[in-house]
Amino acid sequence: MAELTSNPVGKNTPRVDAYEKVTGTAIFTDDLQFGPGLYYGRLVRSPHAHALIKSIDISKALEVPGVKAVVTGQDFDTRIGLYLVDRPVFAKDRVRYVGDPVAGVVATSEDIAEEAAQLVEVEYEELPAVFDPVEAAQPDAPLLHPDLGEYKVANFIFPEPGTNISEHFRLRKGDVEVAWPRCAAIVEDTFRLPHIQHVPLEPHVAVALWEPSGQVTLWTSSQSPFAQRDLIAQSMGIPHGNLRVISPYVGGGFGGKAGVSMEVYAVAMARAVKGHPVKLRMTREEEFIGTTVRQALVAHTKIGCDAEGNLLAMETEYYFSGGAYNDYGVNIVRAAGYSCTGPYYIPNVKGDSYCVYTNLPIGSAMRGFGMPEIHWGIEQIMDQLAEKIGMDPAEFRRRNCVKTGDIILTGMKMPAIDLVACIDKVTKAVNWDERRGKARPRPSAPHKKRGKGIAIMWKAPAMPPNPGSSALVRFNEDATVNVEIGAQELGQGAFTVVAQIAAEALGVPYEWVRVSAPVDTKYSPYEWQTVASRITWSTGNAVKAAAEDARRQILALVAEHWDEDPANLDIKDGIVISYKSEREQPLKDMVIYGLPNENFEGWKGGPIVGHGKFMPTYVTNLDFETGQGPRAVVHYTVGAQAVDLEVDTETGQVEVLKIASAYDVGKAINPDLVLAQIEGGAVHGMSSAFEALKFDERGRPLNPNLVDYRIATAADAPRQIHGDIVETPLEDGPWGARGVGEHVMVQTAPAIANAIYNAIGVRFNDLPLSAEKIFMALQ
Amino acid sequence: MLARPALPSFDYVRANTPDEVVRLLQEHGQGARLLMGGTDLFVRMRDGVIRPQIVVDVKHLPGMRSIEYDEVTGLTVGAAVTMNQLARHPQVQTHYPLLAEAANSVASYQVRNRATLGGNLCNASPAADTAPAVLVLEGRLVLHSSQGEREVAARDFFTGPGQTAMRENEFLKAVRLPPLPAVSAGKYLKLGRNKVGDLSIVGVAVFAFPDGTVPSGYVFRIGLASVAPVPLRAWEAEEVLATHSPGEESFALAAEKAMEAATPIDDVRASAAYRKAMVRALTRRVLGSVWEVLE
Repeated sequence: MAELTSNPVGKNTPRVDAYEKVTGTAIFTDDLQFGPGLYYGRLVRSPHAHALIKSIDISKALEVPGVKAVVTGQDFDTRIGLYLVDRPVFAKDRVRYVGDPVAGVVATSEDIAEEAAQLVEVEYEELPAVFDPVEAAQPDAPLLHPDLGEYKVANFIFPEPGTNISEHFRLRKGDVEVAWPRCAAIVEDTFRLPHIQHVPLEPHVAVALWEPSGQVTLWTSSQSPFAQRDLIAQSMGIPHGNLRVISPYVGGGFGGKAGVSMEVYAVAMARAVKGHPVKLRMTREEEFIGTTVRQALVAHTKIGCDAEGNLLAMETEYYFSGGAYNDYGVNIVRAAGYSCTGPYYIPNVKGDSYCVYTNLPIGSAMRGFGMPEIHWGIEQIMDQLAEKIGMDPAEFRRRNCVKTGDIILTGMKMPAIDLVACIDKVTKAVNWDERRGKARPRPSAPHKKRGKGIAIMWKAPAMPPNPGSSALVRFNEDATVNVEIGAQELGQGAFTVVAQIAAEALGVPYEWVRVSAPVDTKYSPYEWQTVASRITWSTGNAVKAAAEDARRQILALVAEHWDEDPANLDIKDGIVISYKSEREQPLKDMVIYGLPNENFEGWKGGPIVGHGKFMPTYVTNLDFETGQGPRAVVHYTVGAQAVDLEVDTETGQVEVLKIASAYDVGKAINPDLVLAQIEGGAVHGMSSAFEALKFDERGRPLNPNLVDYRIATAADAPRQIHGDIVETPLEDGPWGARGVGEHVMVQTAPAIANAIYNAIGVRFNDLPLSAEKIFMALQ
Repeated sequence: MLARPALPSFDYVRANTPDEVVRLLQEHGQGARLLMGGTDLFVRMRDGVIRPQIVVDVKHLPGMRSIEYDEVTGLTVGAAVTMNQLARHPQVQTHYPLLAEAANSVASYQVRNRATLGGNLCNASPAADTAPAVLVLEGRLVLHSSQGEREVAARDFFTGPGQTAMRENEFLKAVRLPPLPAVSAGKYLKLGRNKVGDLSIVGVAVFAFPDGTVPSGYVFRIGLASVAPVPLRAWEAEEVLATHSPGEESFALAAEKAMEAATPIDDVRASAAYRKAMVRALTRRVLGSVWEVLE
């Protein structure tokens, strides 16, 4: 038998799902079998960016043999959304982006459904469309949601009815007007980021079954089975208890499978063919426009510092292009607002963050949740300020970055972190001192130029104040353990970390722990969503609590059995031991059957089940006018990246030689998994720097496919990805742990831009950093 | 607007003789498409660009998947030889390394397991990565019809984007490359948006060898991809190198001429202006590295 791992927290235990995934036996949603009764759905999508629907004729589609139903917006009098309920189930009276679903066709095969979908005739009256978020925020812009004032909205989101502004977050601290004259250097500029897409390996897929009894089951590739249950139940008028969401492994999410996107269409179509499961799956092309994208951003930012390099003031306006529906996106914009300074202590701040409706695909959660967007400009301005006052950019960051105990922009006291240590580690890893003068290494060819850049970041989990996690710990007869959670395994290693935490807290070997999957809202304990880099921390706390509950029960039972004080007992490697009497009791059998009294005169105990929950209770609302409040967020994770690269001056091509990352994760429950995030994040960050989803002047996507949307491949990955882990414990994290899943790509694009500047002396305010753009700038 | 979830339905016929192919082409006209690797055909069918009723699989015809080399007659590559087959064939590697290099630059390894030389040429994409190599190696295409076989020089084969000199009811059986001079050098350089798997934004192939009958003492042939409606030879640039002795100066001048020969378009991959500039940059670079070998 393989060796057993005691006390696995902090160790590089192998992933619990490694064997399944390497051998291809892991089950994903599209692998599930539904028998001959399975139907398929296809969606009819708007060809226009903005238009009124005059009529929909479904008669020809219904005549196609094999077609079972066609549903349209007329069949649903309801909307759906997480923070702002603004999205109709199918477009009813108007379409708001190219790709907006207007009808769903259900048929016995996907091919028939597709043929019939092409026969649905929709008459449109085109309306003026708006694509730029700054233009869309103007009073005379074409209005996308005339009914905005009637939409249900979370109490911390503030839409402005009569405009396209779905959220406006205000941050006011100190007095910028007083501060500007005291600045020795000021940089003011406009930065733009385009839309990008998550490009998960597994496209979205959902299967819905609406039984004649009213029971509804949804099988889906989802980061949010419970949020989907809640939102779809509310929207479709299904009692929560009648809606069951089952979610097997997810083949990559990156935020794109958070909340509800296309899943509601599967449920809506299933309602029309009760008793038959309906499968809806996105093609790769649909994935780009039919699910969600990262919002585009236009940022006007002004930052100033004194001659010693102390930041004094910042004024910024963030205009996020939220797309056609902002049901999730509004909270990204809020997060960008309350974190608008980036990881810096700045005494005077005026920030306005706007989410603006535009006639483009739906902007929603994506790894970083607003942070990559705002760091793109901030981190370039910091370099420029440092240059203006003649300070090394790393030193400038050490001086100004947030530190433990700082009263940050919202008035919250910064929990313990060590960003300076992160800066020290990444600068060391890239031989930072070689970036200037004679020490500079020679480029690999005469037409190439070498450069190094740095960028730092922060990010808080952006959530409602009270997202909960829960967990159960149960035993098998042989004392192996089943941990039940509602958190999802997206590839990030959540199940592995959860198993480590349970084993450590219980006192059993890691190899004894199994995590129950798939997530099933009928049987799994509640989990808000697998988002916000919150699982290690929040679910981790719940699992730890559940394991400790089970452990308490076991120790109480054995203590009673031995007539000892539970305080003298411990569980080591699955055996209860007494430090006093040195007795031993294996967990095997007793965790199910209990322990017999003397001479078998009755029994005590019974099956052990541990319960645990976690919910932050301390987050407060922020003042509407100033964004001030005692506790804006649960905590921040911080980190630094340094990039070493070469620019080919004859072609504009960039070769990233090395990305060094360091993050303060509080405690690395599994250091290998942290490093895996760092590696994946570096490559993902490169994709976000070099590629964009492009649209023509009528809002039609130009590259919604992998032919022309080029993500970085293994061949493009930096030759070296260096990772360092800093561990400043988080007060309420399990063993001090905080999340790091998203943070690893937040500042990659500005770190690359700063390195390019170091190499060729040219700044780029707009992403993507295409070779063409760099070449043209050099001419 | 977007690609279908899967291929639309069609009839599949596996042809066993060249005559059967010709008969099916005559019978179905535009409704029939020939299948080799399918890496372009199926993509276009899924995209809804074409919708053939019948797909004729020609890769099992005699000779379609064979590679033959002869010192006197040169290399004959069956039209359905895959890119990976071509790239790792010992005699191709030894005698026509430029062709192996070009084949190896197409798409990704997985795609190269199916994509064929004949398909790449017949598809007649301006971006076809093997076309510049076949152009500078002065390849000839063996076409089969009811009238028998004829050969067309590669330089006459491409007539427009997706258009070739192939007549109706004609199909490509093989590509022939003449034997090469004892001393020669060639290189293909392609510019993509990332390192592997992209379509070329610009592709430049150069093939050169010493030749006493030419004023400069060397023949340089330059083929370009992705910068005009068809893959093309940069004749004026070649002329410069036939009359000027090889070196940085003549390479720069030739690169300038190659750029002038390019008539690219703006598209989502790159602007015409960038493509033109890249023709110049890549041509100069390829000429330099080919000369390093010859010198």
